[in-house]
Amino acid sequence: MKPRLIVLASKNIRNRGVRSWLTMIGIFIGIAAVVALISMGQGLQAAVTGQFAALDPDKLIVTNVDTLFGPPGSTAVKKLNEHDKELIESVNGVDIVVQRLIRTASFEYNDKTDFKFVANIPQEKEAIQVVYDALNLELEKGRLLDENDRRKVILGHDYMSDDFGKPLRVGKKVIIQREEFEVIGFLKKASTFTLNGIIIMPDEDLRDILDIGDEFDILVVQVKDMDKLSDVKDILEKKIRRDRDLDEGEDDFSIQTPQQGIQTINTILDTINLVIAGIAAISLLVGGIGITNTMYTSVVERIREIGIMKSVGARNSDILTLFLAESALLGLVGGIIGVIIGLALAYAAASGISAAFGGLDFSISLNVPFLIFAALFSVFVGMISGVFPALQASKLNPVDALRS
Amino acid sequence: MDKLKQYFKISLRNLKRKRLRSWLTMIGIFISIATIFVLISLSLGLDTSIKEQFKKLGSDKFFIDPRGQLAGPGTGGAVTFTEKDIRTIEKVSGVKDLSYFVMGSAKIEKDDQVRYANVVGIPLDRTNLWAETGFIDAEFGKILKKGDSGKIDIGSQYYHNDVFEDSVMVGDKIVIQGKSFKVKSNLKTLGNPTDDKVIYMSVKDFRETFPDKGEDIDQITVQVNEGADINRIAEKVKKKLDDVRDVDEDSRDYRISTPEELLATIGNILNIIAGFLLGVAGISLLVGGIGITNTMYTSVLERRKEIGILKSVGAKNSDVLAIFTIEAGLLGLVGGIIGVIIGIIFSKGLEFIAVNMLAASILQVSMPLYLIVGVLLFSFLVGCFSGLWPSWQAVKVSPVDALRYE
Repeated sequence: MKPRLIVLASKNIRNRGVRSWLTMIGIFIGIAAVVALISMGQGLQAAVTGQFAALDPDKLIVTNVDTLFGPPGSTAVKKLNEHDKELIESVNGVDIVVQRLIRTASFEYNDKTDFKFVANIPQEKEAIQVVYDALNLELEKGRLLDENDRRKVILGHDYMSDDFGKPLRVGKKVIIQREEFEVIGFLKKASTFTLNGIIIMPDEDLRDILDIGDEFDILVVQVKDMDKLSDVKDILEKKIRRDRDLDEGEDDFSIQTPQQGIQTINTILDTINLVIAGIAAISLLVGGIGITNTMYTSVVERIREIGIMKSVGARNSDILTLFLAESALLGLVGGIIGVIIGLALAYAAASGISAAFGGLDFSISLNVPFLIFAALFSVFVGMISGVFPALQASKLNPVDALRS
Repeated sequence: MDKLKQYFKISLRNLKRKRLRSWLTMIGIFISIATIFVLISLSLGLDTSIKEQFKKLGSDKFFIDPRGQLAGPGTGGAVTFTEKDIRTIEKVSGVKDLSYFVMGSAKIEKDDQVRYANVVGIPLDRTNLWAETGFIDAEFGKILKKGDSGKIDIGSQYYHNDVFEDSVMVGDKIVIQGKSFKVKSNLKTLGNPTDDKVIYMSVKDFRETFPDKGEDIDQITVQVNEGADINRIAEKVKKKLDDVRDVDEDSRDYRISTPEELLATIGNILNIIAGFLLGVAGISLLVGGIGITNTMYTSVLERRKEIGILKSVGAKNSDVLAIFTIEAGLLGLVGGIIGVIIGIIFSKGLEFIAVNMLAASILQVSMPLYLIVGVLLFSFLVGCFSGLWPSWQAVKVSPVDALRYE
């Protein structure tokens, strides 16, 4: 019964030729728009969160409360200091505490000046390793900084281009904040803008040229045992609170796991994606109404046919199923074509955007469950749209239908 | 003209004959037209309110920002301005007045509640320029004046939107970074929640409250003489500032921007966002248009005989084309009218929520007559365009075949 029904339904759809296609175009444009925009949204989210240098899950990040949007710690009410660092180091379960500074400084080469982000490299051997591991720094040329280097810098991949009119090479001297530095290495192209344009220099030099006293933007805490991460976090919170004489809820600092750190950004991106996908989904709604219209027209045209079917023994439920199957098929075919076109569009857009913004790792990942869901959703839209005409068809009185 | 009226009459009658189908087709159109209308009225409104803010600022002022800031002004960077820069700019001929501000993040306390906010220090001997723009204008109390110390002006959020549990009013005390300040005025709403949460104090108090910020100056605003060419004066200021800061074209560590430039930048960003959203919303109109094509095509198939009769009694091809195209156009137009009505209701609702619940009066909607008329005309054209192909099918119907058929 079932397969024959589907054969019959597809025959009916084919009979209406152009009209079926027009109906399906409506659905597949809607599905393609939703699939393309959601896939791009997911890709964009991955690209943006990738900008926040992937940190290992065995680390905690301590910052003071910020009041404006900017790099962590940049608008903090109060900077973290040596006292905080010692306090954190004294907590059981903490392995190493690494101090981080991210600032901007003037960078001069070949008499051209620009302003760039500068990050510090701590000056203890173990701490250096933590930073290199955490940021996943890989060298393209030269060597990394070690604990004995002074007045030397590593530069991001962007500096290897000719932006300063004369190529920069390992061994060249550059002027940062009016002080001379030697370039000892270049980083490999990374997936983040910040890393590609960064200057990395020893902690002491950074403090010296920018006249920074006893303060840190971020403290990265490496714990001894990853499973105890949240315990250590609780202890740290209590300790800092007691140290600063704060009640719970008055915290002027925050301790986050790397995942939490990007949660806010994710929430914002999710909202944006939702709004855009919502607007795109309106076209799906319009497409669904198109199916209703087609099916309704079809019922009117086939009144006699329905009457004949009923008079030779078809039950109401058979007619209902037949019409529902037709609208579901319209949805299915429209959905499959839509998913394919949507994916193609997303890939094309992503490669276009990646080419336009070097350094943004914007790629579309094939989210199979989502694609299947989209196609099934389209079937669902088709069926919902078909319910009202199908009910109408099933309730037709065969005598009236044949007389008309 | 008479003929056109006839066409419309016939078309309308035909649409009424297939009432349900016409409605279903129009629903598709009005949903998408309503979405498009809301998006356009929002972006027009936003554009207008931003332009208004800039107008308040006046076209006789420009800004000098240090380069190399981490984020916006006050987020700290390698470059800051000094008193010497201020004196230099002041001496440039054509400069009428100037002011500056420093910005810091502070812990603020009241009745044992702790919050964090941005504090801006302004020189109280240079407030004329701010007073003129209306950005610092008191709703209650009086704004800070020369000689005030230990007093603050607070943004409207402290009064209207409960930054603290109770509204903060003139005469109340707020502890900022451990120092107590008395509220001298509640400022008028600017419509932007971030700006409306700012606390203003004198630069002198600021220096004492934020010793870390040293003698920094985060942004300078310069006003030029009436009738003076702002771009020429900005150039002059640039030259003097280059000398005193010992920089040149390649090493300049500050940026001068005029309101026009800023407005153009913001306008560009807004246009890109609005364009993208409109594009996405336009997809649904495309789908709705295809719905019209489908309905009209069905209609042509059903009315072959009628078309045959029309033609055999003397209707020209152009008549048939006109009747069907206008029918399709009417589907678009009526859909458009309903869409605009729904859109107006929706936009006004959004505006109400933004202004009354989010205190973001910057989010206004604007629906000028040309928008309404334009959208209606557009929906009529979309309908006509969608109906072109089916109408052409109707034209091709041969009267002999059509009448013989059945």
